Amino acid sequence: MRGSQDDQLDALFRAYREACATPEPSVHFMPQLWRRIESRQSFTFSFRRMANALVTAAVAATVCLGVYTTIRRSDAAFYSQSYVEALAEASTIDTDLVAPARLEINQAPFE
Amino acid sequence: MRVDFELIKRAQAGDNAAFNEIVLAYRKRILGTIMRVIARREDVEDVAQEVFLRLYFSLDQLRTAEVFEPWLYRLTVNAAYDYLRKQRRRPEYRMSDLSEQQVLMADATAGGKVEHDDQYQKKIRESVDALLGAVSEADRILLMLKEVEGLSLKELEKIYQVNENALKVRLFRARQRVLKAFGASTKGKEPARAG
Repeated sequence: MRGSQDDQLDALFRAYREACATPEPSVHFMPQLWRRIESRQSFTFSFRRMANALVTAAVAATVCLGVYTTIRRSDAAFYSQSYVEALAEASTIDTDLVAPARLEINQAPFE
Repeated sequence: MRVDFELIKRAQAGDNAAFNEIVLAYRKRILGTIMRVIARREDVEDVAQEVFLRLYFSLDQLRTAEVFEPWLYRLTVNAAYDYLRKQRRRPEYRMSDLSEQQVLMADATAGGKVEHDDQYQKKIRESVDALLGAVSEADRILLMLKEVEGLSLKELEKIYQVNENALKVRLFRARQRVLKAFGASTKGKEPARAG
């Protein structure tokens, strides 16, 4: 239900519409608008250029890593070894320093 | 529709002269809407330029001519909303302070003589601005578009892209809050002011 206050508010809104007359655009409106457009365009352009450079660098890094991984995997000897052989090869320093144990069975224990 | 779709298509293709024509066709209407929504003459052009700036960079997303005007209105609503939110975050720009500045400026330009009509209109603007402080910025814009701009619910539905019933509920609640503030102000109380 609409009361008298509703009508008063409607009247106030109508008066407000009349009080807020449409302002005339200033002579600087269009030049300022184009200046803002150009400044945003140059910012967007430099941002896009930076983004392109980053994407190119990322692609190059991916290609380099891919090539490097492929070369390493194509090493046939690496894959033909068994686990023990690979382990022995990796610990060659230990085998040089520690001599294999020998058991002299012909020798008397306490001479 | 103030421009034909061919002009919009040309502007979409990067024709700056066509875009210029679109701005010239709509700028007065947009300035009027912004003036009524934000009620600050000194910032109206700035907000209107922001609207056309957003239009320029999003024009390529437009597919059909029918949605151009609601879409431009939506850009206007969003720009006005952003402006009002920024204003709320800056307490130094209060309506009363600005009004004093405006009065001083008006005094200076009119040689110290202020017309009675101007005073009355200023008072109306301040009253409505104070009343609308009772609702959020989004509801303020919605109320302005409905009550002052005189847009229909169908038009608002296109702008806000929500169904009519949801809009009706939102409008009703916003109006009730404003009415409450209006009742308080007519009883001599100061209505709740935003900021």
